[in-house]
Amino acid sequence: MAQFLGNINSFNTINHYNYQISVADERSELLAWLSPLEPRTRHHDVRNNRIDDVGDWLLTTDEFRDWCDCDGEGRSDKATLFCYGAPGAGKTYIR
Amino acid sequence: MVDTLCDQARGQNAAVACFYFDYAVQKEQSPTSILGSLLKQIVGGWEKIPGGIAKAFEDQKKVIGGRGLRLHEIVEMLETVSSSQRTFICIDALDECVAVHRPKVLRSLKQILLRSPRTRIFLTGRAHIRGEVEKGLAGRAAILSIRPREDDIITFLRARLDDDTNPDAMDDLLEADIMKKVPESVSEMCVLGATTV
Repeated sequence: MAQFLGNINSFNTINHYNYQISVADERSELLAWLSPLEPRTRHHDVRNNRIDDVGDWLLTTDEFRDWCDCDGEGRSDKATLFCYGAPGAGKTYIR
Repeated sequence: MVDTLCDQARGQNAAVACFYFDYAVQKEQSPTSILGSLLKQIVGGWEKIPGGIAKAFEDQKKVIGGRGLRLHEIVEMLETVSSSQRTFICIDALDECVAVHRPKVLRSLKQILLRSPRTRIFLTGRAHIRGEVEKGLAGRAAILSIRPREDDIITFLRARLDDDTNPDAMDDLLEADIMKKVPESVSEMCVLGATTV
């Protein structure tokens, strides 16, 4: 009986294990279905090539602070911050 | 920008999603795949995928070969998820988006903001799309001009010189010359990222 129970337990464990895998598969399948694109990959490149401190002045501007802090009910209704500049001005690399 | 927001977001249970437009892969960057990738990043950080999305995924499997979501469905899902959690969306180089797709992308973002007013969107692009952005987002955009400051250029040059793969070709005189002349000319040309030493 003990052996029998032991077998059942191991059977359950295996099943549980398979279930975990299928849940993880299902999840990544669903995420890939939402979009095949992986913008995080590009982000990692940008992050690695960025030079520390360059462009940090932007984070201290009133425009940035208002945009970042306001909660939609406060003084600013500017939910978007559009930063424009010439090619190579460093727009992509702002920290 | 994404990293700054991610650091901030950690403390306030916020989500940060990003997208980088790129001429080289313009064809793959359709409005549905762009907005879909934002949705993917947001719900990808959640322990449980929202029921509505999971159900849509199961339902489409019954169609032979499967079927992707339509743009309005993705936008609705984005409205819902961004309403339930403070959300930051960063989109780089909007000018590199196919011109005919841009109005659709801007309209989708505007719609998300309408339903989820606490969401914050950070956009970058060249000056010529400024009018389109202002119009597309119905005046809800603050505008900021990006130009490299002189100390940015010096920091940038310093870092590039330190990484020089051919240091033998460099002497103190040449280095001093570069550190003096490049910032002078760059401030006129404004081409920091394109400068290679």
